[in-house]
Amino acid sequence: MNTTNTSRPPENNLIWAILSTVLCCMPLGVVAIVKASKVETLWYQGRHDEAIKAAGDAKKWSIYSAVSIALIFIIIIIIGFIGALADGAFNY
Amino acid sequence: MEHSITKKIGFVLLGLVILSAIVFIYYRFNPSSTNTSFLACPIKMVTGYHCPGCGSQRAIHQLLHLNFYRAFRLNPFMLASLPIIIYALGLRLYNYLFNTQHRVGIFYSKWFIYGYFGLALLYWVLRNLPYYPFNLLAPTS
Repeated sequence: MNTTNTSRPPENNLIWAILSTVLCCMPLGVVAIVKASKVETLWYQGRHDEAIKAAGDAKKWSIYSAVSIALIFIIIIIIGFIGALADGAFNY
Repeated sequence: MEHSITKKIGFVLLGLVILSAIVFIYYRFNPSSTNTSFLACPIKMVTGYHCPGCGSQRAIHQLLHLNFYRAFRLNPFMLASLPIIIYALGLRLYNYLFNTQHRVGIFYSKWFIYGYFGLALLYWVLRNLPYYPFNLLAPTS
């Protein structure tokens, strides 16, 4: 198993960075892109551990990017709800 | 991490159910109309500027109705990226199912990575300019 893994750089997870940029375009996606772009260079410099870490980070930051947009939506919904309460939308 | 074949089929079926739910919602409801509960892009809400993703939800609705031109006008960048996104996700699924390690070659090219995201940033700026022809890039229904 290790013989196939040492000859090739790890999967750089760029697809998630692209998705988070095109669909929710959060700035955190940029971190993911930078990490993904480093994977191959690090690998061919022999810094295998760092390459694997960069690939993992690319995935991690893409997830943060997606989670951040979900959090923002939740905050907007809560603010909207409080605003509706304050306007008396629920007073009958 | 390798899953057993039954687990894989389970995950794929679950994915299919979620995907069809999403497709149904985006087919049935038009995010352009004012009385839907689709949330607009938060960047747009806060700053008033279009981001590279603005128009994607409406574009998906138009795509599902096979209105390619209207989808293109809503978010040309998303539409142009769609083939590679579908290809890459399909390859991921294939690798998962058949324990292979195929990759999208250009994702490992520095030219592609920085070119693509440079283009995304340029697109972000240009589609906010109120002048012809750049205003063609802004989402229009």
